[in-house]
Amino acid sequence: MTEDIFKRKDLTKRFYKYFLAGLLVRLLFIPFFFQRDLLSTYQRAAETVFAGDFGSSFEQILTHIIHSAYLFIIKFIFPAINEFSPILLEEDTWISWLAFNSSYNVFTVLTLFKILYLLFDIACMFLILRLSFENEPESRLRVFKFWVFNPVVIFVLYIFARHDIIGVFATLLALLLAKKERKYWAIFVLALAIALRFFPVMILPLMVFYLARTKKDYIILSIIGISGLAALELFSYFYFERSLIFTLLNAQHFNYILSSSLELIIHDRIFIFVAAYVVIILSFFHIKKKNFDILLNYGAIVYLAYVSLCYFHPQYVLWIVPFLVMTFIRRKSLIYYHWLQFALLMVILIYWGDLVTKFVFAPVDHKFFVYLTGVIPIIERFYDSAKFVNIFRSIFTGVSLWMIYLIYRDNKKLIENEPYNSTL
Amino acid sequence: MLTGKKTFKLKKILAGLLSGLILLALTGCSGVFYIPGASYGYYVWEEEGNIFIEWSADRKDSEFEGEISTDGRITSHELKEWEDEDTIMTSEEEIKFMAVLGSEDYSDGFSFSLEDYSYVEFDLKINDGYDLSRINLGGFLETPGDNIFRIEKDYFEKLQKKLWYQKRPFSEFFYKLFSNKYFTFLYLFILGIIIIEILRITVFDRRKRKLLWIVVSYTVLVAVEISVYFILKFLVS
Repeated sequence: MTEDIFKRKDLTKRFYKYFLAGLLVRLLFIPFFFQRDLLSTYQRAAETVFAGDFGSSFEQILTHIIHSAYLFIIKFIFPAINEFSPILLEEDTWISWLAFNSSYNVFTVLTLFKILYLLFDIACMFLILRLSFENEPESRLRVFKFWVFNPVVIFVLYIFARHDIIGVFATLLALLLAKKERKYWAIFVLALAIALRFFPVMILPLMVFYLARTKKDYIILSIIGISGLAALELFSYFYFERSLIFTLLNAQHFNYILSSSLELIIHDRIFIFVAAYVVIILSFFHIKKKNFDILLNYGAIVYLAYVSLCYFHPQYVLWIVPFLVMTFIRRKSLIYYHWLQFALLMVILIYWGDLVTKFVFAPVDHKFFVYLTGVIPIIERFYDSAKFVNIFRSIFTGVSLWMIYLIYRDNKKLIENEPYNSTL
Repeated sequence: MLTGKKTFKLKKILAGLLSGLILLALTGCSGVFYIPGASYGYYVWEEEGNIFIEWSADRKDSEFEGEISTDGRITSHELKEWEDEDTIMTSEEEIKFMAVLGSEDYSDGFSFSLEDYSYVEFDLKINDGYDLSRINLGGFLETPGDNIFRIEKDYFEKLQKKLWYQKRPFSEFFYKLFSNKYFTFLYLFILGIIIIEILRITVFDRRKRKLLWIVVSYTVLVAVEISVYFILKFLVS
């Protein structure tokens, strides 16, 4: 809690109420749902912890180390986890998934697995409280509330159960350090965040432009910014004898960034997100009176542009949330658009089939949800499922682009130092 | 313009419809509900003394083949959505069938009536193999135990008596909660503490005997925990 909230009893009470209610909502989902990737993440960690194979997650080595360390700790505290080692070490993904879901203590293990994300989520709550609105405890508390009850946060962490929150935490910490003008530390932590999840690389130029005061700063901060990735590259080159960067560049996930393109002629093609990203970065660069709120707004614009224009996985939407919750205070309409985004996301995720729809509920009764008719065959029966989903995908893009426009207008006000009207 | 009363009624209807949909989604293909061309498997049920057997596939080429026999007499049969390439041979003791489904053919089936019988024996195959979990006998996931299986005359009657908590997914969910009871009680206790804390700062703080309310809340929580134990024990047994 921040001092300005702590000083006022009514705000302290509200803070505590939001925190408890948020915790309650999170706990309601923790034991019962997960998406297959959670099991894969812990299976790789189990290979390190139970089988001593360190190189099982080459692409995301830092996240893998965190999960391995966490698994190592909980297996001592809760020996029941050891019973799961054959399941976690099972190479056949279908067999391990079935065995995991049919275990009588699947709820306990799922809870233990997800508590790691809860801890990072709580840490993010407290960081976000400090990120903006200095001397405005009411606004800070509202930002806190928007994070605590954010549907995307709850869905991604406690229903979908993905680990993006670890990278988000490091990014928020970097932003907080940037706010406090600890420029080297801020960029260093951002470099760590990039090494954790790679997504924060999108805001690295923004941070460099925001923090740099001299030409020398631009060079030093840029070098520190990519140092995390460079360190991982060196480590993987010597330890695994493989290039991490080229593995990533050739991975399917990198192609997501290039997924929307404009065909010109012969080989000529424009990658729409890359072009849009350059425009966003340049527009930030040319703002003379940069302030921290504008930096946060630009963070929201970058990630909104990403989910608008690129192929993405549902959990990637989490990256827009830390930046958006700040803008909600100044533009209330963005809250409604964000809820609309979430509703549309629930339709868009049908695209990935059973794995992200009915199988998410499998811990409750795996047989029931395996044999239950999936959403895709039902839609296919009446209409082309890809078209159906893409209609909602297009609406999602439209809404996200409109949100970018609203944030852009907010930027103009911030630049002109106009007082904000939260009812806009 | 809708009056307040009408709006309330409309809300009630909408809430009813929504809960119905949720219930349907939760219970899945409850009874013999299936979506031709989307659901996959056999669906067997009894209606007005006739036994119905239908099958559906998710618009992929699939072959459904089977034999049905009885110790009584098959007196009549009626085909449903039968195509030229589908075959059926019937006698008083047995029915043999073979049917294919595809991108344009969503489901087939037939019904038959019986007399003087104590059981019906089924041998049902999908794509020349057995997939027992795809055979729904009177309800979703009411599956047989053996490849060739029998159902007694009163099977469907008995099945109707099965209560909601004895059916999937509830039966499995309650089983897991009960067999992992230390987790369940700790989990409920933590949820209870959070709820009591929310009540403490929002409701109890405004009351005079604050401490008393807290003591009462925790007593209720312990009572809930004990009740949950007995309720789960009952539901699982």
